[in-house]
Amino acid sequence: MEISGSLNAIGYGLSAIGGGIGVGLVFAAFIQGVARQPEAQRVLQPLAFMGLAFTEALAILGLVFAFVWKL
Amino acid sequence: MDNAVIKAAAEGANPLMPNWWEVLVTLAGFLILLFIVAKFVVPMFEKTFEERTAAIEGGIEKAEAAQAEANAALEEYKQQLTDARTEANRIREEARSEGAEILAELKAKAASESARITEQAQVQIDAERSAAQASLRTEVGSLATQLAGKIVGEALDDDARSARVVDRFLTDLESQRAGASK
Amino acid sequence: MIALALPTAAEGGTFTPPGLEDLHLPDILPWGAEYGTGFGKQMLLVILTVVLVSWFLVAASRRRAMVPGKFQFLGEWTYTFVRNSIGRDMLGEREFKKYTPLLVSLFLFVLLSNMMGSIPFLQIPTTSHVGTAYALAGIVYVYWIYLGFKTHGVKYFKVSVVPSGVPKAFLIPVVLIEIVSTFLVRPMTHSLRLFATMLSGHMIIALTGAAMAYMFTSLGQWWGYPLGSLIFIGGLAMFLFEIFIQVLQAYVFTLLTAVYIQTSISDAH
Repeated sequence: MEISGSLNAIGYGLSAIGGGIGVGLVFAAFIQGVARQPEAQRVLQPLAFMGLAFTEALAILGLVFAFVWKL
Repeated sequence: MDNAVIKAAAEGANPLMPNWWEVLVTLAGFLILLFIVAKFVVPMFEKTFEERTAAIEGGIEKAEAAQAEANAALEEYKQQLTDARTEANRIREEARSEGAEILAELKAKAASESARITEQAQVQIDAERSAAQASLRTEVGSLATQLAGKIVGEALDDDARSARVVDRFLTDLESQRAGASK
Repeated sequence: MIALALPTAAEGGTFTPPGLEDLHLPDILPWGAEYGTGFGKQMLLVILTVVLVSWFLVAASRRRAMVPGKFQFLGEWTYTFVRNSIGRDMLGEREFKKYTPLLVSLFLFVLLSNMMGSIPFLQIPTTSHVGTAYALAGIVYVYWIYLGFKTHGVKYFKVSVVPSGVPKAFLIPVVLIEIVSTFLVRPMTHSLRLFATMLSGHMIIALTGAAMAYMFTSLGQWWGYPLGSLIFIGGLAMFLFEIFIQVLQAYVFTLLTAVYIQTSISDAH
């Protein structure tokens, strides 16, 4: 059986693992924080999305390199 | 995906390479939008919010003023009520004292009047009595003298003597009556 | 969805999924084609977005009634949402008013650009073309660097890349990492996050549409119909999820703009 395709897609998939776990951790912490202190939600929500954004950066870099490096 | 990437690479169109005309259109469009928003939209929204805040605060102030006015009116009313009450009390007191005064005056007047009437009556009685006494004395004297003359049959012309006799008689009579009344 | 799917299905034979080239429809204005303007549906939609957002905001703000109607309320709610929960919470009570126009227009522009992917017949998020995403992120990039220099002067180089409390030995690698992460990775992730989520969401919708059409029309087997129905249900779920993602990405894009501005105008690193 022959498998054809681009290894870049696999590379991007691997890079997405880290980002996925990170985003999960960020929102787990956010939900825990809100569950313990519901009144803190207004403060925590932007922080959670900031964390999401910074965590996602690696996955986005993976996407970029999947397109850019075609060796 | 791989087909697309290869195809795109063959065409020299990496999906991460922008079409510069798109960038230009978006830049121009967004800057126009930003200009409109900054120039018209935001000031109008802020103005609306400010006016709304002012209206709400003004409403609160107005309500507070009305409340204060109502309180003042109530105070004034209460004050007037107490004033009226004290006034009424005062007037009542005054009337009472005045009435008492009038009563006393009337009483005094009546007493003096009655005293005066009594005195007058006494004086009159005294005067009448003395007049009656005088007239009686003369009349009774002459009558008795005439009667005695007729009885005695002798003329008792000596006035002086007869007067003496009559006086003695009357004095006896008076002392007798005084002893009886005592 | 259907318009994209039909040519694919008409090819017959084996199923070919829609690719990236399906994002680029033929130009509308052929006279511009030789200059490579690519003036197609996407640019038209960008202009339409600008017109719609301007109209919405101006019409909603112009009425200025003390007791807002439904339309004015919608405008005011959107405006105060961006102004208070993004601008004021991130930038602080003292500073946020200056940046409200940028944040409001960014949020609504990105939101409507994304929503273009879910409006029937328009059906393409304009931000799924990388040029639009680059342009928006580029404006923000230039703006926060400008703000940094305006606040700190030349010292901004030091403020932005040298973190406090790092031992001397590590200073050079840390500064290198900071330069890369601040001046390269930031604008890249800022634009590509928007672009990539919109692109992949659009591709998923196109894929389900194409697959459904293939199952119904070209497969020629009885089990194509129940399978196509299942794909339709899944595609519908993805469509609704995509709307959520579109709103969320607009929020995240605006929030990150506020964060970048905040790091530029604050004193500490």
